[in-house]
Amino acid sequence: MGRAATWESWRPDPTNPAQHVAMLVDTSECIGCKGCEVACKQWNQNEPRISQEAGTYQSHPDLDAETWTVIKFIETEAENGMTKWLMQKHNCMHCTNAGCVTACPTDALQYGDYGVVTLNQDACIGCGYCEAACPFDAIHVDRTVWGMKAQKAGKCTLCFDRIANGMQPACVATCPTDCIKFGDRDALIDWGRQRVEQLKAMGYPNANLYGVDEMGGLHELYVLLEPPEAYGLPVAPKLSPVLELWKYGLQPIGKAVLGVGLFGLVINWIAARRVFKGGLSPHETGATAHD
Amino acid sequence: MARASGSIKKFSRVQVVFHWVYGGSWIILALTGLTFLWRGDPTEPAVGLGPLLQGSVGQTLRLVHRIAAIGLMTSPLIWFLGDPKSVWPDLKELFSFGKRDLKYMLVAPLYYTTGRGQLPPQGKFNGGHKVNFYVVFTTYFTFIGSGLVMWLGRGTVSDGAFHVAQLIHSLSFFLGSGLFLLHVYLTAIHPFTRRSLSSMVNGWMELQYARLDHSEWVEREIRNGTAQIRGVEGAAEAR
Repeated sequence: MGRAATWESWRPDPTNPAQHVAMLVDTSECIGCKGCEVACKQWNQNEPRISQEAGTYQSHPDLDAETWTVIKFIETEAENGMTKWLMQKHNCMHCTNAGCVTACPTDALQYGDYGVVTLNQDACIGCGYCEAACPFDAIHVDRTVWGMKAQKAGKCTLCFDRIANGMQPACVATCPTDCIKFGDRDALIDWGRQRVEQLKAMGYPNANLYGVDEMGGLHELYVLLEPPEAYGLPVAPKLSPVLELWKYGLQPIGKAVLGVGLFGLVINWIAARRVFKGGLSPHETGATAHD
Repeated sequence: MARASGSIKKFSRVQVVFHWVYGGSWIILALTGLTFLWRGDPTEPAVGLGPLLQGSVGQTLRLVHRIAAIGLMTSPLIWFLGDPKSVWPDLKELFSFGKRDLKYMLVAPLYYTTGRGQLPPQGKFNGGHKVNFYVVFTTYFTFIGSGLVMWLGRGTVSDGAFHVAQLIHSLSFFLGSGLFLLHVYLTAIHPFTRRSLSSMVNGWMELQYARLDHSEWVEREIRNGTAQIRGVEGAAEAR
């Protein structure tokens, strides 16, 4: 498996945008070279942000609006007492039930072709609702810009511009160990499950596949050597029930109630203008006996 | 019986200014906020108002929303500092909700639709005014609390708290909007009750209307010698 697999030659079908593609990161093969970070910056022409975190080999403490993929270096202790690094290529997970899409008030975030969560930066107003709605902390508003340049959200696009033209994402194309695989999501899940069994047989009992069911299914899958929490990944994340209540409960009900209320006022006006002629009440006109 | 001349002073100039600064801020906040609730299907291209609200226009609306929020937050100072003598008596009456107010609330919908029924004598503020005030009073705090969390708390409060703030803000909007529509309808459109609008324009209310809708207050003001009445022959201004 691994490098011998055929994923390097896999290309999306530009005529079939309904297919769900995914990236699978086999963390057992990641060497933390950060080539994917550089390729991402280069292809997307994102400006460099020098913010190295002290005491780690990690290039950036976290993602930001101009840094869409970061290799997380998690230092752990192996059974033999030696230091062991867990690597996780962190970026937008392109959730099937995405919190950011649910929260976005301007349609800047949408469900796009190939299962990709797209971000139209021109449409973004920088409200930051998406940041609070993302359980992976994978989307950020750039708060360092003011004046002529507006504050906008930024996140991994899964190189939508590349895959829509039959190419692989930049990080996939550049990975020297081919630990980032790109392909049909269902096929990658099958491959990932086999890889997990293989790793378990090789002495990694905690190996697991992450992303199959989380948030309705992620389009960024991981073969992990340790449980998700060891990588700082949320266990069984779900769309916030409060956010769902806000979006799918309160908003439609509120609009309906306002509509019914407006209709009631129209009915009242039609009736009242016949009763209160000239603005006078029946008490003033003597039209009723209860004066 | 035709309309008789004469009017009675109901609100001070400061109260009128406070009302319109608060109301104006509220309307701007509602218009710049509600448009974002009408969002289309996220799997389809943006339609309707959507494209107009995106990008720089949306950011400008967000800025206007925040400026208006400051107006709304600070507007009560106009009343408290400009006409402090009226604050306590008016708040005291607004916060007293008695049997007459309850009866008013039960009778008013039918009366203002068909003219049938007998409205109980009301004070300076009728039962409807009081309910409207309770909603305004409550949402003043819920709007500000949740709005400040969404404005200044990004990244510092938990995601859960942020979502609760979103929910409370929207809930306040729908609650406030319902009462706002009813308030605007009754004071500016309804053929009978729109006669009360002048009291929030120049402070004076038609005396004949006041005797119908606020009879208890009118009689009390006259009895206490504090009524300011103008345009009625033989009625000296009582202070």
